[in-house]
Amino acid sequence: MAQETDGRPVVTISVDGAPLEARAGEMLTTALARSGLLRLRQSPRNGAPRGAFCHMGVCQECALHVDGAVRQACLTPVRAGMAVERRGVL
Amino acid sequence: MSTTYDLAVIGGGVHGSTCALFAARGGMKVALIERGPLCREASGVNAGTLTMQMTRVALIPYALRAHAMWANASEWLGHDVGVVVCDGLSLAFTEQEEELLSFRAGKRREAGAPIELISGADALRVEPGISDKVRLAGYCKVDGYANAYLTGLAFRRALLGAGVDLMENTPASGIDREESGFAVKTATGVVRAKRVVLAGGVWIEPMLGWLGIDLPIKTLINQLVVTERVRPVMRTVVGIANGLLSLKQYPHGTVVIGGGWQGIGDRERGGVELMPDRIVGNVRLACHAIPELKDARVARAWAGLEAETADALPAAGPIPGIPDAYVCGSVHSGYTSGPYIARLLADRILGHEPALPLFPIDRLLNSGDAERGPQ
Amino acid sequence: MSHDVIILGAGPAGANAALAAAETGLKVALFDQQPEAGGQVWRAPLPGLALPASPEKAGGDALRARLAASSVDLRLGRTVWSVGAHFRLDALGPDGNETVEAPRLIAATGAHERVVPFPGWTLPGVIGLAAATVLLKSHGALPGQRVVVAGCGPLLAAVATGIVKMGGTVVAIVDLAGPGDWLRLLPALATQPRLLARGAGWALKLGGKRVPVHFRHGVRAALGADAVARVRLAPVDAQGAFTAGPEITLEADALTVGHGLVPGNELPRLFRTEQTFDRRRGGFVPVLDAFGRTSLDGLYACGDGAGLRGVLVAEAAGQLAGLACAHDAGALTAAAFAERTKAPAAAAAQARPFSDAMAGMMALRPAQVAAIPPETVVCRCEDVTRAEIEAAYDDGARDLNQMKQFTRCGMGPCQGRFCGDVAGEILAAKVGSREKVGTYTARPPLRPVPLADLMGSFDYGDIPIPRPAPL
Ligand SMILES: Cc1cc2nc3c(=O)[nH]c(=O)nc-3n(C[C@H](O)[C@H](O)[C@H](O)COP(=O)(O)OP(=O)(O)OC[C@H]3O[C@@H](n4cnc5c(N)ncnc54)[C@H](O)[C@@H]3O)c2cc1C
Repeated sequence: MAQETDGRPVVTISVDGAPLEARAGEMLTTALARSGLLRLRQSPRNGAPRGAFCHMGVCQECALHVDGAVRQACLTPVRAGMAVERRGVL
Repeated sequence: MSTTYDLAVIGGGVHGSTCALFAARGGMKVALIERGPLCREASGVNAGTLTMQMTRVALIPYALRAHAMWANASEWLGHDVGVVVCDGLSLAFTEQEEELLSFRAGKRREAGAPIELISGADALRVEPGISDKVRLAGYCKVDGYANAYLTGLAFRRALLGAGVDLMENTPASGIDREESGFAVKTATGVVRAKRVVLAGGVWIEPMLGWLGIDLPIKTLINQLVVTERVRPVMRTVVGIANGLLSLKQYPHGTVVIGGGWQGIGDRERGGVELMPDRIVGNVRLACHAIPELKDARVARAWAGLEAETADALPAAGPIPGIPDAYVCGSVHSGYTSGPYIARLLADRILGHEPALPLFPIDRLLNSGDAERGPQ
Repeated sequence: MSHDVIILGAGPAGANAALAAAETGLKVALFDQQPEAGGQVWRAPLPGLALPASPEKAGGDALRARLAASSVDLRLGRTVWSVGAHFRLDALGPDGNETVEAPRLIAATGAHERVVPFPGWTLPGVIGLAAATVLLKSHGALPGQRVVVAGCGPLLAAVATGIVKMGGTVVAIVDLAGPGDWLRLLPALATQPRLLARGAGWALKLGGKRVPVHFRHGVRAALGADAVARVRLAPVDAQGAFTAGPEITLEADALTVGHGLVPGNELPRLFRTEQTFDRRRGGFVPVLDAFGRTSLDGLYACGDGAGLRGVLVAEAAGQLAGLACAHDAGALTAAAFAERTKAPAAAAAQARPFSDAMAGMMALRPAQVAAIPPETVVCRCEDVTRAEIEAAYDDGARDLNQMKQFTRCGMGPCQGRFCGDVAGEILAAKVGSREKVGTYTARPPLRPVPLADLMGSFDYGDIPIPRPAPL
């Protein structure tokens, strides 16, 4: 859902093993949402779907694995080749 | 004038709560006076490890019985504190640690703890989560952990069920001796009782002072770290040879990292500050033991206060020179052993012979003081 | 000591504090988690994004330029995780852990969003109102294609306008307040004619697009399986309680909703400075003197983290706190201090009626909390419901920390930031007051930090393992 007038280069990242096109430098949350990947984790007791919520690094709903390390998607700009894994129920 | 209780227990940690519970079940009319909410000091913020491999040798017989109590908490406590009984490992990564471990495990085994020494390879079979750098491990089947933050809730329900008069948020400020017993001064009035138990954790020193007894208690400021929920990375309780690591993963996925690294604080202010370098040291040790832990994030860290006498053995027994006054606390790894030792004291107060000896404080008072007694 | 002052938070308050202190010659370190200064209100657009000019962007650019030209030691993109007394700060940055020390510390940590829970508020596609402002002004992204904008306060209009400008559709604005509530504020709002004019601008643009506005309505529920698909509204009374009246259901792929802000006051809480509960200011706030001094020597606080007052007051309060530091450090004489604080003190006073009016619109409405259904999740991290919080009360929990131990509410990775205020209100309704219920004890780390980052690389032999416990 980024703007049409976006001049940033298109790169490929992987999400849960599948390739995904994104724009270099955009927020990971934006790239995921554009492809309909709104569910970023599942809640611990109910297994309910959860997505990015505060977009300012506080709520931790968008925490996932980037190249093996836990990162918040709303604070992580897209880099070509980054491997993203959603965490599922914890 | 209000009731005179058979027993007033001052301090609602695991020692005071257990003692009050068994005294009430034994037929006494009991008041439990707690400054804050129940079990919110050491007994609610500790690491919950129920292990023999960090227990002092002299306490092993007590800890074994206490472990059995925790494992059957549903029977005597009646409410869940999340006890999990599992294997425990104490790891050695260097030759020096191998020596230390062999010596310490040997002493504990002599005292009755069923600890075996196993190779690093065997340890990996017991706990696939540990590092392949382990050279030797102490392996004990009597181990496990509880969810310390549930202790207050469980005891609260049990104490109310047993008819104890629970006085939370009621600081005691002194004790007057009267003909028929004791008058405990509190913020909301005087509580009279024929007997008293001082079970104030690190605060037993000022409490004993109310009765004119001078017993120095050292305050340890133990730091703890807990991660957010992560996928299973381990299934046992893991420590290291010198005792400065304790690690386990709860069923809900969080991992508690402890081992007694010291923060800043004191009796007056509580645990006021954590030492970042020591958090890092403790975390390094933890990740060295369980490498996969490095993918977790620290959610929270805190410090709690633990009491220690001069010889690091408990203060649990009658107070010399003052009939019907008792002290209970300062038990090393006291969350593990506390319930059993406090129960022994309750037995004694109820007039039964305790199954194992108590730890009277006479040994810690210089004889002049002991002779003189209060006033 | 590596610095004279450490400042945490590079928004309007912290950045102005840094500039004011640095101008007197103090050596200042300014920390923020974001890669650029500006805070939430003046968030920088992501690199490579050409976003249309806006007053926020202009304000932010000016501030960033001033900082770049100053002597302030800028430590941006740092996750501050530990702050110790008098004062040592540890932060994770691009090169691992870094430590700075200074005798003075200014907390300017801003605020985070309050969303009073309703069924479905945890669905993907439901985001905060402040969250939406970040998407619009920094990420250059829309919250969705068809967005319901709900809640209270001035962010409603700002977000709706931003969405329309970026080409999205605002299905409706849903405002807890009524037109009358806004009208009553006009005198206060008129004290800031520039801002009032911008508000009128919002109204016009939205009017052109004919966005329906449902005044005196709240969100009853967000509905959908894996993401929000529908939003159900119901009328509310002046207190924010739902009233009998026709419900409205809207189709939408996003809901942005916010009910004001909560001060991020964790530093003063960590140091246990005196605090007070002030509903208008967003909840518990540190007790401060006129220049931002807390009850702890050397610790200062300013900006929304010290109580919600908005950007205009934040700038002035930042300058005052920076000058107070300079004075207390001996870098400003009493006379120079008195002289230099005049202008910011006057600016703060001038901005007060406006900021009070705005803060009033965004204060937590107890009736709204009372309307949370029992089975609705309050603590998102740990899935703790309102009913479970109330059950903890029945089990004897009388303060927030005890409730936390009974339920795990607030133990998750957001560290209680998103449930604390509402959970406190739920418990306070039973216990009698927010003061009695208190706050969650603030604990390090200030943000969750990966163990891998914390431990860095090391040799086992170098770990300073303490002496073993007695056998
Ligand atoms: C961080 C930490 C980790 C630990 N980890 C473990 C572990 O993993 N395994 C283990 O076995 N042990 C562990 N321990 C040790 C264990 O927690 C303690 O030995 C045990 O909980 C002590 O219980 P207590 O009842 O003596 O003291 P406390 O639990 O401290 O209870 C004393 C009570 O007295 C109350 N009080 C004080 N003054 C007054 C007054 N004037 N009036 C009324 N009430 C008063 C206090 O509020 C408090 O509730 C740990 C300790 C700490 C601090």
